Amino acid sequence: MKSILAIIILLAGFLGFKNLRDSKKRFFKELLRQVPYLIPRYFV
Amino acid sequence: MADYDVLIIGAGCGGLSVGSLLAKKGRKVLIIEQSDRIGGCCSTFEKDGFLFDLGASLIEDAEVINWAFERLGTTLWKEVDLVACDPVYTVILKDGTKIKYPISSEGTAQAISKISPEDGKRWFEYAKHMQGFLDAAFKGFFTAPVNTVADMVKMFARTPALLKYGPMFAASYQDVIEKYFKDERIRESLSYQTFYGGLPPELCPGYIAMIPWSEHDGIHYSKGGMIGIPEAFMRCGKKFGMEVKLNTLVKKVIIKDKKAVGVALSDGTEITSDLVISDINAKKLYLDLIGEEHLPRLALIGVKSYEYSMATPMFYLGVDYEPPLEGHHTLMTVPMEEMSDYWWNQYKKNQYPHEQFGIISWTSGSDPSLAPKGSHVIILTLAPGPYKLNGTTWDKEKPVLMERIIEYMSKKYIPGLADHVKVAMLSTPVDFEKRLLSPEGAIYALRQDVPHTTIFRPAAKSKSIKGLYLVGASTHPGGGVPTTIASGMIAEDLIEKYE
Ligand SMILES: Cc1cc2nc3c(=O)[nH]c(=O)nc-3n(C[C@H](O)[C@H](O)[C@H](O)COP(=O)(O)OP(=O)(O)OC[C@H]3O[C@@H](n4cnc5c(N)ncnc54)[C@H](O)[C@@H]3O)c2cc1C
Repeated sequence: MKSILAIIILLAGFLGFKNLRDSKKRFFKELLRQVPYLIPRYFV
Repeated sequence: MADYDVLIIGAGCGGLSVGSLLAKKGRKVLIIEQSDRIGGCCSTFEKDGFLFDLGASLIEDAEVINWAFERLGTTLWKEVDLVACDPVYTVILKDGTKIKYPISSEGTAQAISKISPEDGKRWFEYAKHMQGFLDAAFKGFFTAPVNTVADMVKMFARTPALLKYGPMFAASYQDVIEKYFKDERIRESLSYQTFYGGLPPELCPGYIAMIPWSEHDGIHYSKGGMIGIPEAFMRCGKKFGMEVKLNTLVKKVIIKDKKAVGVALSDGTEITSDLVISDINAKKLYLDLIGEEHLPRLALIGVKSYEYSMATPMFYLGVDYEPPLEGHHTLMTVPMEEMSDYWWNQYKKNQYPHEQFGIISWTSGSDPSLAPKGSHVIILTLAPGPYKLNGTTWDKEKPVLMERIIEYMSKKYIPGLADHVKVAMLSTPVDFEKRLLSPEGAIYALRQDVPHTTIFRPAAKSKSIKGLYLVGASTHPGGGVPTTIASGMIAEDLIEKYE
């Protein structure tokens, strides 16, 4: 059940992202690109 | 016993504000500045009888600066001779349309209505929303420490109204402006302020879109040049015994048992202190002045991941006529999409064309004493400029660019300019780096998008080094004269609480 829910959420996220205009996609891409650094940055 | 209670590296607005505040609290403070003058990005220099502001050429949110002076037992208005700028600015759109935005909100709505009556009405909706944010954010966000998750929780508990404005942090500047305004020309007229956040409209966090409104609370210029503001802090601090040493480069922060215990100067002298405060670029501080060996692994990854904010070339012009300008500031704009396009396809590709958007600051229009009689000062803050140029260098390009920009400005924005230039200087990102040691000439130290703000920006109370505090553009709430002064108040509060 949990995995089905996860797939639905991922799919919805993917479809939502695909429908965004290009500028909005770039906005989110820039945020996503930096996600791996958020925890390290918290410790500075 | 240490030589000083507090050593501050850098005499920018953050360093001078926290220095004077701590001196008032009875601490023995020394500020060390590598250049020959105070103020950093908020400084003024003289050339052939003309006074030019190096970086900042206006202040907004004067009230925040005033709070710092009130803590010093005085007021901003007593200490600095401020000129109020009205109109806030004249905007010249890409198609040549001119819109003059006066200080009054009603007047601004009228100016907008002439182009789009619908947007004229929406101006009040936008103004109401942004004023609500500012009321909550001034005390709750801009002058509160945001070092930890607990600080964030406390911030929202103290100022629950802030929660309502959360969506602005997940949206872009462009989203917010487009939500309120439908006419393309009005959108364009409110677009340039995105670069006060250091990013193009599609990347800049939505809350920066409060600026075209907050400007209506007043924009001010310091008579005699912007250095008047840092000078006022220095004057107040000196009354309480604060010392300032110019032309002195700090090479290293001395660390013993994970604690900052002083600094080493470039001539080898060591000065000891109980606390060290840094007003310099935090990435440079941690990597060069402290050293990787003193940082925990996770913090080191974090420090290395920080990206510098944009840089911008500045053109300083002394002219022997009264330029046909209509106020302290004229914004030369292009549509938001073109600004973002410029960001990706020219700025990010290390190109710098001479046909530019940006700000014309006619500082001597507000204060004629900045120039010899009958002459004037014009400063051009143009679009973001890359640190490196593709296939050439800034030094090689300087003379050509200077000539082309003057010609272009003369044709499009300031008729007659080319025939009246007496002094012309250009400060490139590389010059900024040399002069202020700001890496890559970054004007706001670090990038200012959400992953570089609040708990993700270097903390005001260092999490890796005891006895080390940060002020200035590198820490919360970020770049800008009022915000760096706010960082000085935040550091004062933290130091009074913990040290
Ligand atoms: C071109 C430009 C235009 C701007 N326009 C505006 C504006 O109109 N309005 C506004 O509000 N803000 C503006 N800003 C932003 C604002 O000026 C800055 O964010 C603010 O002044 C930075 O203050 P700070 O405390 O971070 O210190 P900084 O101004 O960065 O000063 C740091 C100081 O540290 C010194 N230093 C560096 N390394 C060392 C070392 N190793 N040893 C000793 N000293 C050292 C430097 O020489 C410098 O004086 C502008 C900035 C720039 C660059």
